[in-house]
Amino acid sequence: MIEHVAVVGAGTMGRGIVWALAQAGITVTFKETSPEAAQRSMAQLEAELDHEIERWGLTKSEKTAFLSRVRPTSKVADLAGASMLIEAIKEHFGQKQAVFSSLDRRLPPEMIFITNTSSLSITELAQATNRPDKFVGMHFSMPVQKRRLVEIVRGLKTSAETVARVRELAGSMGKTAVEVFEYPGFVTTRIILPYLNEAMHVVMEGVASTEDVDTAMKLAYDFPVGPLAMADKMGLDEVMLWMEQLFHELGDLKYRPCPLLRKMVRAGRLGVKTGQGFFPYDADGSRIRSTALSTTPEGKEI
Amino acid sequence: MKVLVLNCGSSSVKFQLIETSMEAIARETEERLALGSVDKIGMDASVITYQRRQEAPIKSIEHILEHEAAIQTVLSALTDPEQGVIGSRKEIQAVGHRVVHGGEKFSGSVLVTEEIVAQIRDCIELAPLHNPHNLKGYNVARRLLPDIPHCAVFDTAFHQTMPPRAFVYGLPYVLYTRHGIRRYGFHGTSHRYLIFRLERLHNRPRKGFKAITIHLGNGCSMAAVHGGKSVDTTMGFTPLEGLIMGTRSGDLDPAVVLHVMAKEELSLHEANTMLNKHSGLIGISGVSNDMRELETQANKGNAQARLAIEIFCYRVRKYIAAYAAALQGVDYVAFTAGIGENSARVRAESCCGLKFMGLEIDPERNAAMDGREGKISTDESKIEVWVIPTNEELVIARDTVRAIAKGA
Repeated sequence: MIEHVAVVGAGTMGRGIVWALAQAGITVTFKETSPEAAQRSMAQLEAELDHEIERWGLTKSEKTAFLSRVRPTSKVADLAGASMLIEAIKEHFGQKQAVFSSLDRRLPPEMIFITNTSSLSITELAQATNRPDKFVGMHFSMPVQKRRLVEIVRGLKTSAETVARVRELAGSMGKTAVEVFEYPGFVTTRIILPYLNEAMHVVMEGVASTEDVDTAMKLAYDFPVGPLAMADKMGLDEVMLWMEQLFHELGDLKYRPCPLLRKMVRAGRLGVKTGQGFFPYDADGSRIRSTALSTTPEGKEI
Repeated sequence: MKVLVLNCGSSSVKFQLIETSMEAIARETEERLALGSVDKIGMDASVITYQRRQEAPIKSIEHILEHEAAIQTVLSALTDPEQGVIGSRKEIQAVGHRVVHGGEKFSGSVLVTEEIVAQIRDCIELAPLHNPHNLKGYNVARRLLPDIPHCAVFDTAFHQTMPPRAFVYGLPYVLYTRHGIRRYGFHGTSHRYLIFRLERLHNRPRKGFKAITIHLGNGCSMAAVHGGKSVDTTMGFTPLEGLIMGTRSGDLDPAVVLHVMAKEELSLHEANTMLNKHSGLIGISGVSNDMRELETQANKGNAQARLAIEIFCYRVRKYIAAYAAALQGVDYVAFTAGIGENSARVRAESCCGLKFMGLEIDPERNAAMDGREGKISTDESKIEVWVIPTNEELVIARDTVRAIAKGA
């Protein structure tokens, strides 16, 4: 049984992972870059749990039980008690490489290292450590605590035992695991990104307003959320990074980031987290519905 | 023989150690040696309550992460040189387990074998909130006490005598044959205990009387019992149907759920939690799911608290009359469990205005009856109304002894 898991990086994805683990009854120690950042993440996690209580998805006593299993820290040494570590920092090869190389030196050699990535090479990242057999990728979908899928990505040197342990972890988190070969974008990211990118092209070319693009895709295909709202939730900077990564790895023009996406990232309109992406959001991350904004095709405006 | 009775929930383990035997059952001389519970498992501070015979309960707080440690703690308490009641684990000769859902497979209690475990596992789909914890408790107990018989007592078993007219829903019949969508009913052990007591109190075999049993605790359910057999009950496919409960909605137009899910953009999980944990008394009142607290607030003039109590009692009253019709006559009505045993107000309001059908409560008798066994109806009342503190653990212990005797 897996009792204690470490999480490095408690941004949107990291907090989702912490939530999903704690919900499964697993003790989680998460590490942020400073004590202040760790406390900030903890406060955000609490706010997210409160929001879920308001939506009747959680009770106050469940929240208490939950938080009693979550330990924030800024020290690597505090992670040593865990049997597995999930890294969920920014999707940037150099940064992930540096983090893993430092963690590898300071944490017990038997600890399994898991990187949450949607497009980077597991085999290459594993080279930053002395435990490539205990190095594996897990690609969660957002919001992690609600999505039932996780892609398990095996690097060239990942051992069968490591894959089995990580499958067990996915199972105890209530997720269905699919195993994918290491290849840029795996399955889900590879298919979803060009879809999001195409939606941005449609807006940029003035074919339809942002609101109408999302409405069309939602109603036509019964998607719970439209492509632009989905991109806003993922973070437009992240979406661009992933696109560039795919473009860089595969060299195919179909992965070229839409110029509108690039422009919005440069303008600091990164989606839900900055309060403005293709749609406006309030401090709680809820969409602000205003008719004025939805009638103008935003491509023209920007 | 000494039987350990275990009731494992998601974050709690309740237990009793009972000295019993076939002879003791026949003479009703079973003896409760100890009882208690471990609550808030997996949280910061788990609360352990332990009580020996008639002594005062001892409370302690420990950090207990999961069921294995909880059951270990129970065994250590029972064998403790100072506080314990037995010298070693070896004195425990059988374990009786409460299992919530037995589906259509189990109409009685059984000794647990590998095959039975597999069948209980098959029922997980029907009771995802309960059966996994019951099974976890069984697995741990089996590991810690490997060489003795373990018996499973199902909440649903008692209601397996319901006729199809009571258990089939007005849905496409294929849902029943394909997925087992039907009414199962719960709290069977408690309803059974009330029938046993009514039989004793009136010295009259159960075959000859009709009763409505009313279990009002955290979960609430009623049963219509004819000749000792359940012919209808308020809980259905899950424990959500029927009466208003502490945090569960009870009966509801199913269209409401679909409408609210669309309006509030709720996921299945959120809708499920809303109906099971944010509805009922807590949902209506916004104050509490605890009837005592609601009564206090209602007396202080809190309108929402008063409304919650009113809705709660009105629902019970409707079912009393409905079950009188289902049974075509009633001899006894019996209240039990936390609210049923302790709230005179709820009993009075639930029975008010039923004189026309021969049911009348005596206000003084009712007010005086808290947590004790006794009659609360007037001497003129054709239907006798009783308060009977439930004892599910005793039923589980008895079933365990009987299952062993039958198996041997």
